[in-house]
Amino acid sequence: MMVIVLENAPPRLRGRLAVWLLEVRTGVYVGVYSVKVRDMIWNHVEAGIEDGNAVMLWDDLTESGFNFCTLGENRRIPVNFDGLKLVSFLPEDKKEVIDRKS
Amino acid sequence: MSTGNNPLLPKLTPITIKERVSLVYVEKGNLDVLDGAFVVVDVNGVRTHIPIGGVSCLMLEPGTRISHSAVALAARVGCLICWIGEAGVRLYASGQPGGARSDRLLYQAQLALNENTRLKVVKQMYRMRFGDEPPAKRSVNQLRGIEGSRVRQMYKLFAKRFGVPWKYREYDTDNWNKGDMPNRCLSAATAALYGIAESAVLAAGYAPAIGFIHTGKPLSFVYDIADLFKFETVVPIAFQIASKNPQNSEQVVRHACRETFRSTKLLQRIIPAIEDVLAAGGITKPEPPEDALPPAIPEKESLADDGHRS
Repeated sequence: MMVIVLENAPPRLRGRLAVWLLEVRTGVYVGVYSVKVRDMIWNHVEAGIEDGNAVMLWDDLTESGFNFCTLGENRRIPVNFDGLKLVSFLPEDKKEVIDRKS
Repeated sequence: MSTGNNPLLPKLTPITIKERVSLVYVEKGNLDVLDGAFVVVDVNGVRTHIPIGGVSCLMLEPGTRISHSAVALAARVGCLICWIGEAGVRLYASGQPGGARSDRLLYQAQLALNENTRLKVVKQMYRMRFGDEPPAKRSVNQLRGIEGSRVRQMYKLFAKRFGVPWKYREYDTDNWNKGDMPNRCLSAATAALYGIAESAVLAAGYAPAIGFIHTGKPLSFVYDIADLFKFETVVPIAFQIASKNPQNSEQVVRHACRETFRSTKLLQRIIPAIEDVLAAGGITKPEPPEDALPPAIPEKESLADDGHRS
């Protein structure tokens, strides 16, 4: 299964994702696809995200059983804890500390 | 600050070890509870949520501080917290109180106290480790001697396979950097395995101190159980990484351990393995005495392992 969550995305991208995925809540898209199709869909997100931001999750052979990738600016940043992917939440004015973490 | 007694939400309960991820290492920051979630806050104010209920063992390195409410939350969801020193040397452990099951403790003690049942358990451990029948009519002492020489042989074989110079297994917990590269990798890897083994022993309801092959240590039984899986999981990894001689060897080892714990399904197998070796003793778990007082309020069905207090 794969899930994409969009924030602040242009309507044309939202419409485009709805071509393959089910929009179960505003900006939340769900579907079951192969790796190839997933990459293709993510290409659309990359091309159309503009100033918004996105995260995609999918089933994977990691210890947690899933994996995810992100696009655009967000206060939540993926961090690697010795091979376990978690998420850090930045305070309002500290966007620059991201680089040190990732 | 609520740590799980929020009246608006259902009560927190532990889940089984087999559904969790193995380990999370935290190297610096303040561990606390914010809005009911377990967080690490660093000096810059960056918060990272640790899904503590889905972790079997949390390893805190020097440079961390943990609040009372954070430890309480870890205990409530059954996550073992280990305070570890330089290179995984354990300092203290808590956060997952053991000894929740008197029937298991009595059963384990009964098996260990009787020379006959103890030998049966040791033989079963031997079978699981080496995949063959232990020589008959040997005492625990003799079996331990045979095991020791086989283990030294296996270290040698792995060293040869990965082209690592190897003398012998040595670890000096007072002077960590003294050991050679393969020994340091081995210590880091076994420390990770011990963390998981301890959380499994506790979750299954047994006492970490009552060992069968090992004795006299707070974690004797944990070493017994970890040894069942050591050569299948962490030893090859340690030698493989030592052969590459990486700069941050410890971190590479941890990363690889996580991968092998996942691929060998260690967390699914470890509690059944504990039950299996103990069952070889051939006795059943004791029934409560007839004249004992049963609990006034019976335990509710739970998602947790038997040894978790929920």
